[in-house]
Order: sequence, then C-alpha cells, then structure tokens
Amino acid sequence: MKKSCIAMLLAGGQGSRLYALTQNVAKPSVPFGGKYRIIDFPLSNCANSGIDTVGVLTQYRPLQLNSYIGNGQPWDLDSSDGGVFILPPYLGAGEKGSWFTGTANAIYQNIGFIENYDPENVLILSGDHIYKMDYAKMLKEHLEKDAACTIAVLQVSLEEATRFGIMNVGENGYVCEFEEKPKHPKSDLASMGIYIFNWKKLKQYLEADAADPNSSNDFGKNIIPAMLNAGEKLWPYRFDGYWRDVGTITSLWDANMDMLSTTLINLYDPSWPIGARSPVCPPHYAGEHAQIIHSIITEGCEIDGHVENSVLSPEVVVEEGAKVLYSVLMPGAVVKKGAVVEYAIVGENTVIEPGAHVGAAPDGTDGWGVATCGPNITIRQGAVVPAAAMIYTGEEV
Amino acid sequence: MRKYQGIIFAYREEPELRELTANRTAASLPFCGRYRLIDFPLSSLRNAGVLDVGVIMQRDYQSLLDHIGSGKAWDMSRRSGGLRMLPPFGLPQYHNGNYNGTMEALNAVGSYLRDSSAENVILMLGSVAANIDLAAAIRKYEESDADALAICMDHDPMGVHHRFNVGPDGYVNGLNLYRRGAGDGLPSLEAYIFRKDILLELMDYCRANNHYLFHRDAITLFLSRGGKMTVYVHEGYANSIRTVEEYYQVSRDMLKAENRRQMFPAGRPVRAKTHEDVSTYYGETARSVNSLVGDKCIIEGDVENCIIFSGVHVAPGAKLRDCIIMKGCDVGEGAELSCVIADKACKFSPASVLIGSPKLPTVVPKGTEI
Repeated sequence: MKKSCIAMLLAGGQGSRLYALTQNVAKPSVPFGGKYRIIDFPLSNCANSGIDTVGVLTQYRPLQLNSYIGNGQPWDLDSSDGGVFILPPYLGAGEKGSWFTGTANAIYQNIGFIENYDPENVLILSGDHIYKMDYAKMLKEHLEKDAACTIAVLQVSLEEATRFGIMNVGENGYVCEFEEKPKHPKSDLASMGIYIFNWKKLKQYLEADAADPNSSNDFGKNIIPAMLNAGEKLWPYRFDGYWRDVGTITSLWDANMDMLSTTLINLYDPSWPIGARSPVCPPHYAGEHAQIIHSIITEGCEIDGHVENSVLSPEVVVEEGAKVLYSVLMPGAVVKKGAVVEYAIVGENTVIEPGAHVGAAPDGTDGWGVATCGPNITIRQGAVVPAAAMIYTGEEV
Repeated sequence: MRKYQGIIFAYREEPELRELTANRTAASLPFCGRYRLIDFPLSSLRNAGVLDVGVIMQRDYQSLLDHIGSGKAWDMSRRSGGLRMLPPFGLPQYHNGNYNGTMEALNAVGSYLRDSSAENVILMLGSVAANIDLAAAIRKYEESDADALAICMDHDPMGVHHRFNVGPDGYVNGLNLYRRGAGDGLPSLEAYIFRKDILLELMDYCRANNHYLFHRDAITLFLSRGGKMTVYVHEGYANSIRTVEEYYQVSRDMLKAENRRQMFPAGRPVRAKTHEDVSTYYGETARSVNSLVGDKCIIEGDVENCIIFSGVHVAPGAKLRDCIIMKGCDVGEGAELSCVIADKACKFSPASVLIGSPKLPTVVPKGTEI
C-alpha cells in the first residue's frame, strides 16, 4: 500500500525534567489541559491533516501509553489500511538487541515498519508539544520546494533563541546552517522538532548514521548536519501559531494556564478537534457552596469549594471550604475540606487531606516555583508543601 | 453459547412527554446532562455481560439510531450477535400507527428472538431511569427454579404502575394492575427475565387471541397457568419517565448526591457515546450552584438548581433557576429563565424572560428562538 506520507511519533522520552509526574509514566501520557494527555495533540493533528498511519515509538514506561492509545479510535485513527501502531524496541533472530540509542536510531530500527507503507515522505513528530498544526500544508511546501527535509520553525526572540536549535537561512530561503543552542544566535528561527523527510533520502542517511560508531544517532545532532554537509535541500517551514514545549514543570503549568484563554489556543474550534480517550462520567456537579471562576472543569468532577484560575481533569473532587487557585489538578485528585492548593500541579488520584496547604503565591524570590505532587500520594492533614516542592509517589508528607 | 439475550422496548412516544417526544421516542430523551435514557438499560445489560441485545423501535427513531450507532459504547458491536436495531419489518400491519402493546411489539420481532440460541430473554423498558444490577437479578433467577423473574422497586414510584403480590415461598401469587401510590405488594420496574420458550408460547397465544398487553394479558395468563415467577428487588433510585412532570422531577432528583450515587455506582458505570472532548469553561462572572453541567459549555452567567447539557452558552448576566437546558442552547446576556425545559439548540435572546412553575415547567421545543 503506497502512502504519500506517514508519521512517526517519538514517544519514548523519559521526560526526566517532569520528575514526579513521569516517575511511572512516559511524558506523552501525562494529563494535560483538563481532558487531554500530551500525545492527543500530535495524534489529533495527524488525523486532522489526513495522515492515517502513525507509528508511535515507545520505550520508557510504555504501559499506560499503550493502553491509552489502544486502537486509535478516539482520534479516528482506526482505519483499515493504516492506523496507529505502537513500536517498542525489538530483537531479530540472533541479534544483540538494544534500546533506541537516539531519535534517529528509533526510526532506523523501524525501517521495516516504514517500508511496509512504501511512503514517499515521513513526518517525524515528538510527543511533548502542545500545538495545532496542519501537517498537510507543511507537506505541500515540502513538495513544492523539492526539499530532502522540511523543518518546522517558529520565530522566537533572540534571547530565547539560545535555548533552541536555530536554523540559519541562506539567500535562497533554504537552510544553510544549523546550530544547537547557540550562545550568539544568528537567526531567530527555532526548530520545533517537526520534520518531513523524503523517505529515500532519510533512509540513506539513517543507514550511514547507524554505521558510524561515533554518532549519537540524533536528528538534531547528526542527521540534519550530515544532510547540510552533503548539500541536501533543507527547507524551513514557518509556523506562527501557538506552540509550547511542555518538558518542564514550569512550562507544563504555563501551558495549562494558557488553556484558560481561547485566544491563545482555541480548543472549541470544531474544524480542528483534539481527540482524547476519556472515561464516560456524569456531568460535573457544582454544589451549594461552589464558587468557580475563570477555570475549566470537566465530567465527573464534584466541586463544592472555591476554584479559580485552574484546570481540572475528570473526576476531581474539591470539597466544601477547600480552595484551588492557579493550579492544575490531574484526573481523580481530591482536595478535602479546608485544604488550599495554589500554584501547584497535583498528580492523578492524589489526595490533599483537610487543612493541608500545597504551594504558595509568587513572592518574587528566586527560589519560588510551582509546587508539584506526583500521582497516588496522600498529603496528610494540616501538612504544608512549600512552593517549588517536588513530592514523589511513595513519599510521606 | 450465550444464555441470555436482551430486548429493550424503545418505541414508546409517551404523548404526555409532549414536545419533548415530538421527534424522538422516550428512550432517546436526553437525560442528566449527557445521557439518553436508553443508556441505562443498555449499560445494565452490558455490565451483566449480556451483549446480544435487540432494540425495538417503531417511528421517529433517527435520534435513537444516531445515538446508539453500532453499539460500540456498550461493547455490543460484535462479529456474532451484539446489538440489533429492530425497526418494524416483515409484518405490514405494524407499519402504520403504533404497536398496540408490548406483546404486539414482541411478535413483530419474533424471528429475531427465535433466531438466537439464547435460552432466556431479559425484557427492559428504554425509558426508566435506574441502574439495575442485572447480574444479581440473573443470579437470583438461576438459584430459583422459576421460569420468570420480575424486577421490582423498593419504593413507590410517582406514576401509575403494576404491583406484584409475593407469597411466603418467594414466588409471585398475584398481579395488581394500574395502581397509584402505596399499596399491596411490590411495584414493578417493568423489567423481566423469561425462559424464552415460555415467552414464545405466550407471544403465540396473544397473537392468536388478539391480545397485546404484556401485564394484563401475558403475565396474567402466565400466572393463571401456574407459572413460577420470582422477584428481584432493585435497591436504589428508579423511576420511569412518561410525563413532562416526571421528566422534570427525575432530572432534578439527580442534583442530590445520594441519588447520583445510586444511579452511577462505581462498579456499574453508565456507558454512553463519548462526544465532547472539550471541558467546560467558567468565566470571570460565572456562578454555578447546585447544578450539573456537561462539557463544552461556556458559563458566564448565574446558574442555580439546573441541569445543563453540553455545548450550552450562558452569557454574562443571564440568570437560570431550576432549568433543564439541553445541548447547544444559547442563553443571551441578561436573560432570565426559571422552571424551563429547553430542548436542543434553543436560542434565548438577551434580556428575554421565561418563567414556568415548578409543578408545570415550560417546555421550549427544539430549535426555538425566543
């Protein structure tokens, strides 16, 4: 079955900078924005862009991710001549197996899968970005520019540019140089980690890269520079919509707060639905004492306390007299009577007992940060979890 | 081989539901902010492992077909068996008008019943708000040597109902038809388990004798022939919905935590089509008290004692009291609604006022603009 373009989604990252939130799950399956998990965004973008075949490369703690993705039905990716496929590292007969050693190696190990579909192009995505993007438009430009590789880029400020992989563009508009986190950036075009490759070309570079024992098998560090050196045509595809990397606690919290504003990213737009595998729960109930202001609430929640500027996932309980301010509550979190949660992220099924206080408002000091409680924790009665704290599952607080 | 098959009667239009059933049957009436009434019997069957289910329809079933789809939400989209939607077929006399009664409806789908190898049939109404533990009812049925089991309520329902007298041996020894309020015996929930061969016999008899009512004709006959019927008492919330007043009351009952606990117990989830993947947003000026609110709403006004379905917009300054607002309605700025049941996609212009009474809620038909 010949396909114009299939997608490979890199979902094996540990997400170590999310600490307690990724202690037992891969980063792409971290809950986000109420009803979603991070991976819903690239999967929905694929479906909405008409890409019906997606390989999801998993490695780190994949159990929850596997069951979440299932047959791909929530994203309309359960098609009979494509679909969504979980691709873990595997062993062939007589081979000495290994984990994916880098992003490029993950694709290299799955050349067989890709060849099944005989695609002309392959879209490489990461599972840790929040954005809505029409990959079909990017593919069109990729074909028009006859590029070996098209890289989605975002214009950033020069200060921010030092944190990204930066594309320097020549007079003809093609990429002439790539710099990873430059101290003195020459351009403000940051790579978004989204690539479309001509598959024949990519395969050739992947094979060469695999044969090089000194390579770290990474797209940004090895494949892109190798292509540039060989004089391949690399085209920057400029994207100007909302895009956030949610690799750190602060960026995850920020992006959740962005969901409270439809002007940044409109999730209510019926032309670009973001799908999610959600449990069917009764509608949320706002009780006699509920006060809900500038927040998003979803099915299965029972709110009888004060919720303001917060993002609540399904089946969250906020009891009478409890306060939730500027916080992200993941599925099944419970805030009991009189407890306060502010500027915090509370993991799945974590219980904040009566009178406990999690997080604190910004005080202008350098040490301030969002407080985080991992999943399945009980914060005992009256306990105080200070700003910037990180509570892991299994810890006694 | 599966021992049980289910039949859900979803053809009733219930004239006393007035405008609410103008384009749908009672079974597909939107309920509790995100469900249709038929989700409850379908989920009860699914939760008891009964996956071969026929849904008897007759007219105005587009909304039902659209909601149920392939039956996937209840795991009833199977290679063999599974969900079957049963519109009138094969019998021209049923094409016009309504079925005169349950036995006539059953006879119209007789071939579906005969074709299945299940030995027992579970019969349920599509328009009863109850989360029945059918697995427990099946256990009771199997432990007895009865040929039928009637599911009864543990409390007296609002409207007209039938009651079963139960003897000291635990078997039914009498049926009291068309009762209201308290009385002898146990109120029927109109859900039954029957040995299929016996049910088929009763169907044949009723057809031959031009009888068509399930309780008056079939059950009376079954009992008079000495048929053994045991009883399972459903403990928890249950009410059938036949009138606007019942719909309004039962909906508002869901605002009580205890009733919700009984309708949505942890072990027996109510399954339904998933449709909205967006949360509800509360604005800076929102107030929501003692209300159930579905997803994808934008609430900027003041909502109290209401059931709000998905995709509803309540603009700033709007005031809603004791209302049921169905999917996709739009309540303009400063509008005031009290004791109103607004069907899907109604529009209330800014500052409009509509006041019903708690005993006689005002029904606004689908798509009305005020």
